[in-house]
Amino acid sequence: LDIRLILPELIVAGAGLVALLLDLFLVPVASRATSGRRRAATPATIPVGSVASGRRRAARDPALRRRAVGYVSLAGLVLALVFSVRLLAVAQSGPAGGAPVVTGPLAGMLVVDMLAVLLKIAFVAIGIGVVLLGIDFAARRGLPVGEFFALSLFAILGMMIMVATRDLIMLYVGLETTAISCYALAGLLREDPKSGEAALKYFLTGALASAIILFGMALVYGGTGTTNLAALPGHGPVLLGEGGIFPQAQPVALVGLVLLVAGFGFKLAAVPFHFWAPDAYEGAPTPVTAFFSVGPKAAAFAAALRIFGPVLMVAGPARTGGPTSSVLVLLFTILAVVTMTAGNLTALAQKNVKRMLAYSSIAHAGYLMVGFAVATPLGYAALVYYLLAYAATNVGVFAVVIWLNNRGTGDEISDYAGLGRRAPLAALGMVVCLLSLIGIPPTAGFFGKLYLFVAAVSGGMTWLAVVMVINSAISVGYYYALVRQLYLVDGKAERIGEAVGPEAADCPAGPVKGTPLVGLALGLAVLAVLVLGFLFEPLARLAGLAGGGL
Amino acid sequence: MSGVPYLTLMVFTPLLGTLLLLMIPKDRVEIIKRVAAFFAFVPLALSAFVWAIWGSTPVEAYGLRFMEQFDWIPSLGISYFLGADGLSLPLVFLTALMSFIAVVAAWGMVKEKERAFFALILLLETGMLGVFLSLDYIVFYVFWELVLVPMYFLIGIWGGPRREYAALKFFIYTLVGSVIMLVGILALYFLSGAHTFNMMVIATLTDRIPFLAQKWIFVALFLGFAVKVPVFPFHTWLPDAHVEAPTPISVILAAVLLKMGTYGFFRVSYPSLPAAAKYFGVAMAALGLINIIYGALTAMAQKDLKKLVAYSSISHMGFVLLGLAAATPLALNGAMYMNISHGLISGMLFLMVGAIYERTHTRDIAKLSGIYVTLPVIATITAFSFFANLGLPGLAGFIAEFFVLAGAFPVSFVWVAMAGLGMLIVAGFNLWMMQRVLMGEGRAEHAGLRDATPLELFTYVPVVILIAVLGVAPGILMRLLDGPAQRLVQLLGGM
Repeated sequence: LDIRLILPELIVAGAGLVALLLDLFLVPVASRATSGRRRAATPATIPVGSVASGRRRAARDPALRRRAVGYVSLAGLVLALVFSVRLLAVAQSGPAGGAPVVTGPLAGMLVVDMLAVLLKIAFVAIGIGVVLLGIDFAARRGLPVGEFFALSLFAILGMMIMVATRDLIMLYVGLETTAISCYALAGLLREDPKSGEAALKYFLTGALASAIILFGMALVYGGTGTTNLAALPGHGPVLLGEGGIFPQAQPVALVGLVLLVAGFGFKLAAVPFHFWAPDAYEGAPTPVTAFFSVGPKAAAFAAALRIFGPVLMVAGPARTGGPTSSVLVLLFTILAVVTMTAGNLTALAQKNVKRMLAYSSIAHAGYLMVGFAVATPLGYAALVYYLLAYAATNVGVFAVVIWLNNRGTGDEISDYAGLGRRAPLAALGMVVCLLSLIGIPPTAGFFGKLYLFVAAVSGGMTWLAVVMVINSAISVGYYYALVRQLYLVDGKAERIGEAVGPEAADCPAGPVKGTPLVGLALGLAVLAVLVLGFLFEPLARLAGLAGGGL
Repeated sequence: MSGVPYLTLMVFTPLLGTLLLLMIPKDRVEIIKRVAAFFAFVPLALSAFVWAIWGSTPVEAYGLRFMEQFDWIPSLGISYFLGADGLSLPLVFLTALMSFIAVVAAWGMVKEKERAFFALILLLETGMLGVFLSLDYIVFYVFWELVLVPMYFLIGIWGGPRREYAALKFFIYTLVGSVIMLVGILALYFLSGAHTFNMMVIATLTDRIPFLAQKWIFVALFLGFAVKVPVFPFHTWLPDAHVEAPTPISVILAAVLLKMGTYGFFRVSYPSLPAAAKYFGVAMAALGLINIIYGALTAMAQKDLKKLVAYSSISHMGFVLLGLAAATPLALNGAMYMNISHGLISGMLFLMVGAIYERTHTRDIAKLSGIYVTLPVIATITAFSFFANLGLPGLAGFIAEFFVLAGAFPVSFVWVAMAGLGMLIVAGFNLWMMQRVLMGEGRAEHAGLRDATPLELFTYVPVVILIAVLGVAPGILMRLLDGPAQRLVQLLGGM
């Protein structure tokens, strides 16, 4: 076993353990015990900074130690990023340009192909973003730091395993590692009933989805006799039937496949399996929400790509694979259309920013599913590229939400009034990211959508591209609501005069100072949003390798 | 490829200005204004220089000069491709000129958030220049959309009382139009089968596309461009946007932004889909005539001076459509001429309306009278502009209208007769407006208002001179426009 091939996973796992241990030894018990109570004394609507600042001096030492846990996690992720990037070369260097085969005890379990490496890089980068966003948030809102950082790292570890395997069992292990970490993450604001509700809802639906997935896997295994995904396309007739409606298909395997679609529908928050998402997103601590909206979702997409990608391709590059294959393609097509449309329409009605972003991310899951519906290597490549573009963009948007959260506001759309004046850089960054979410050039979101359009049209699904276009136009409505607040609404200007002294910084109408870490995360995300478009060619080549190597 | 990338420099200098402005502290207003004017002046100087050396520059492929082409996304066939021909050069010059004038005019008008205003107006200029110079569909689309965002903020932040509504309406109309256009572009890309977004290459391959598909693509592109022109019934955003926009933005909106739509017809729809263009010829003519007559009649009914000018723009844009529909060399020349002459004249009109409004604080025609008495210099230049607007012979607008009508005559007498009727109405509302606003008794409350400042005169005089020169020496422009017009006629099968 060449240890280099799984070094990023090992580093992330190690960093998670170190974070847990550090929390145990570094953070004083007293501080850990009071963290919850401090949070209780300052409900979300009251600015935390001013209240906490008095105590912070007294508790500077523990506070610094609490942050140390975050910095250690950050260092681990940066290290993992370096080693993941080095795997890019490895992923292209295997026999016949393919991925190198992992030998030893993990043989057949792990792969180091382009899809795995590219998404590992994305996950680690997302992790860096979330940790940057989380350090100050955890300090201010009294999140239990050890749990927060360690669970985030473990969730990322699970995601990395999910994308790096071609075996159903291993995939399930990764899926559950991620999911269980995420249930706990959602409930970390222990004194906040909304956080508890988020965790419970997420846990119940997530567990149900996991059970459905596991059941589906069992049925697929029963029908085909293998858990190896690489062997599944060979079982195309067994899975999908050939000639007529399922004559040769084993109903068992087919039912398994459909159950898998439903289970992943939950994980991807596809409509109609989405109802947990808005509550979980709203109640979870915002850095965790940011993480949910990009991390586990991207991992679920990658895993679904592994499972369904090859099968769907057998089903029909040119949609000639017979009626059965059409049924599976049709399933994804319907999911894509319904998800993007329902997501966008529901988002229009939202007043809470985190809920709105939850529906926005549902809509984007719909766009992403176009890649499945097209079911060509080009479609998969477009899906991978869109995932990267979407992840960078959403981290940027949530960076601004957390920028405000750190000052005790930011959950309601009206909190953003006049932000263009109160925090010009944050507002500018948010506009760039919102334009990317709408899909306006020259941002990454535009190129992602363009790539999906091209894939859809060249896959013979022009009408689906048109549906996407219409949906993009609808989405302007709610993204616009935010842009409008940023620049066109003045933001309680009359109250600025009243705010005097040190409280001015925390007054909702006054300037909103960001912390350097949040600013850094926002800057990196905006840079990525702007650069991903101009780096389209090399990235699309890598995404093409990822999509074609299934 | 020529040595110096003049076009790239031209397009991206304003963007550089935007970035530099953001680094200047926002209370250094005087520095900000000068820096902005400088970065708006550079493209103007460059475009004038390019025009000066135009004749001595060799024509490269497709009748283009100053071509610049680099692969950007080869896997999708996207390249960074700029180039100019006789169609785009005058529009580029117009854009650079009107942007510079708008920036200078804004010196005295913008009184809050100056840095953001000038940064956005320069960003807007980059987008507009890019639209006229890019010859790759994706690059074209990127610049097309780049225009949208700064324009939205410029109207939405610095506009009048109903600015939010106007800005949103502008944004949604244009965005919906442009995404439909994008679908048309993608259809061209796939059906032409050349795996390239190069406009010039695609234009040579469209005969492969089934005629039915050509018609649909033409309609999709038409919707994208028609919103910008604006063609009836997609025009309703324009009066709102104009009324709410601050004067410098109205100038750019009327002088340049509308031309993006007509330019799209000349550059994309007609050369790429000549058969469909001929098929829809009568429809285009009908829409053009509706624009002319409806715009003129509605203008006559307006009580707000700025709205009157806005509807008059709609009327004049109808002549461009009519010229396109007639598709004779003369009519096409006239239509392209209208692009430039209307750009200058409508820009001038909005400057004058802005000047009157700045002083009297009203645009209500009923509350204005006797401007000749109170503000003689402004009134004189206003009268000049409105005479140019009604198509007075000897000024630029007349040449354009005359060529369109003369060119359309062999095609259909009815069109010419109806357009002539429209011209009468145009003349009518212009004269009536002048009678009500400029003449009559001077109002007591307007006494003692300051007449045109040197800075204002500095912005008016170049445009006034150009309107007059283009009215007596149309050859200056025709030399450039005739080549593209003749090529278009050939593509459309001659007349």
